[in-house]
Amino acid sequence: MLQIRNLHVAIGGKPILKGIDLTIHPGEVHAIMGPNGSGKSTLAQVLAGRDGYDITAGSVQYLERDLLPLTPEERARAGIFLAFQYPLEIPGVANVQLLRTALNGQRRSRGEAEMDAIDFLDYVKDKLALLGMDDSFLYRSVNEGFSGGEKKRNEILQMAVLEPRLAILDETDSGLDIDALHLVADGVNSLRRPQRAIILVTHYQRLLNFIVPHQVHVLAGGRIVRSGGRELALELEAKGYAWLSEEISDAADFMETYL
Amino acid sequence: MIPPTAYLDALSHIDAPSNITAARQDFLGKFLQAGLPDSHQEDWRYTSLAHLERMPLHAPEAMPETLPALEDYPGALLAYSDDRLVWQDTTLPATVLSTLSDAIGSGMPAAFGSLAGNGSLTQLNAALWREGACLRVPAGERLRQPVFLRFAAAEPDAMLYPRVFIHMAVGSDAILVENFLGDPGIEYWQNPVTEIILEAGARLTHLRIIEDSKLATHTGLTAVHQASDSSYRALNLTLGGQVARHELKLTLAGAGAEARLDGVFIVEGRRSAEQHLRIVHLAPRGNSRTFYRGLADGRGRGVFDGRVEVRAHADGSDAQQSSRNLLLSPHAEIDAKPQLEIYADDVKCSHGATVGSLDEDALFYLRSRGIDSETARRLLLEAFVGEALGLLDDTGLRDWMMPRLLARMPRSHSEESRP
Ligand SMILES: Nc1ncnc2c1ncn2[C@@H]1O[C@H](COP(=O)(O)OP(=O)(O)OP(=O)(O)O)[C@@H](O)[C@H]1O
Ligand SMILES: [Mg+2]
Repeated sequence: MLQIRNLHVAIGGKPILKGIDLTIHPGEVHAIMGPNGSGKSTLAQVLAGRDGYDITAGSVQYLERDLLPLTPEERARAGIFLAFQYPLEIPGVANVQLLRTALNGQRRSRGEAEMDAIDFLDYVKDKLALLGMDDSFLYRSVNEGFSGGEKKRNEILQMAVLEPRLAILDETDSGLDIDALHLVADGVNSLRRPQRAIILVTHYQRLLNFIVPHQVHVLAGGRIVRSGGRELALELEAKGYAWLSEEISDAADFMETYL
Repeated sequence: MIPPTAYLDALSHIDAPSNITAARQDFLGKFLQAGLPDSHQEDWRYTSLAHLERMPLHAPEAMPETLPALEDYPGALLAYSDDRLVWQDTTLPATVLSTLSDAIGSGMPAAFGSLAGNGSLTQLNAALWREGACLRVPAGERLRQPVFLRFAAAEPDAMLYPRVFIHMAVGSDAILVENFLGDPGIEYWQNPVTEIILEAGARLTHLRIIEDSKLATHTGLTAVHQASDSSYRALNLTLGGQVARHELKLTLAGAGAEARLDGVFIVEGRRSAEQHLRIVHLAPRGNSRTFYRGLADGRGRGVFDGRVEVRAHADGSDAQQSSRNLLLSPHAEIDAKPQLEIYADDVKCSHGATVGSLDEDALFYLRSRGIDSETARRLLLEAFVGEALGLLDDTGLRDWMMPRLLARMPRSHSEESRP
């Protein structure tokens, strides 16, 4: 469903991603871990279509089409969803207004009928319950004054409403208390479908106890330096990134010498 | 220079009650001496009225043949076209609401003319106003419906001088809407003056909307005098006019008076909109809040010039000013200049002004949810100006006003930004 090949991305002339290869099939869950500043959010934002990144080499195929020329809204309508590491506050735009405008925008683009306010409310209330959020969140401005954990839950609420094909969750588990972590994990698990794929960016293997990934990748210095199964996360937790640092610097030496 | 004959001719067209003819001549003399304000005057340094000199301006001649199409006004209505009353729909007694000439015909309202001051354009209005409105709400009375005053322009190159006098007696309460507009595509000059007196404990909510044609010039003055514990809440919307300038002079003359002044201006093309606020705290414990939002697109130009003076003895005053503005194109320009002058003790004052551009991160956030960029932009702009529109809910005028406002929101530019 997603093929990233040799993706190189720079910001203002500074290379951040230096050759990412990643293939994801429908139904799979992939975890991406890695040190701070290694490029995890950059990869997530590039997939969602954010401006300001220079794609200097490589390609991204999504559902048999070239993803990179699409606008952010076209990608969203094709089923890509990014839960932001730092969700934005939008004063004056009510949460319910964002949710309904977004859902109806997507439905329109698929040739489906728009949902009216009443049907939408029924629809969204089930999703709220799933995430243990009360109705008042609908009428507050998007993320304005939300606690850190509430913002993360609100991202998952948006995901639950939009029902994407490919969800990219950028550190959605960071800053969640243990109960909220359960709620978010349940929310994500309830959305797992054979045709849906999930990328989890996380620093903590704890999340992976709840949402069990098919593969774990370690992103360091702009490259995927190791991929493995569930046990890779446990190993990382036990040993830190230091035990990979030899490979990382080897890889860097290799690149510098030969490329 | 507009030849003085144009003004003298306008004066000769007026069938004024004889008791004010001499006064009118006097005002006109003063205006002719001073001339149109020019950019050497501090308050006028942003404004150019030079184009007025090139227009064949004249007092409107023909009585409009057809009535203007009137949309629904949910309240009492006096509708004017080219400075003449053309329609009224009110059940209020004439002692409460009438044309200004009727009011003056039965005795000059006390304090009429006392607030407007002696700016040259104000004197020109005092000399040449032809018709207007007078609202006098008796003590303790609360008007259940808003009062709408609609001033329309239909004749090209007309000089129009609407004049309004509002007297809110002790403890009275009313909602006033002033709506200035004109036929699209015609040039004219609208130079209105509105005086508002609030006696002790009186409350007035005032929506003032400039929707003049895109070629029109609007130079308006609102002068407000507040006695103790009175409340004046205003929303000033500048949505039209090639050159639109509104000056609001407000005096908190009695202890504990409060004023809440909100505003939104939207300019695009080569339009300009200026808001000049002069707020004077004269008495203790006055409270003034100014909250303006501006949007400038194209080569539009906006000015927020707010000055608050807290005079000696106005101790315990509280004055806040906020002006936030968005530039939507690289050629747009907004000057935001809040000023505070404080000569009293124990005063709480703050002011903030920002000029920025649309938040790209917020735009991306919305688009990443599948909202197209035009809609995302619209949501953000509506949210931005929406912060200044609380008065519409308090008056029940949201449904009436919002479609008109939304029609004036800047459209997105044709060059779509692709990633
Ligand atoms: N707009 C920008 N301008 C310059 N450098 C940037 C910009 N955005 C990101 N970077 C840099 O790119 C690198 C990768 O950042 P990114 O946010 O992708 O890291 P991350 O792996 O998500 O880190 P974390 O775990 O802390 O969230 C960092 O060194 C960061 O400083
Ligand atoms: Mg990150």
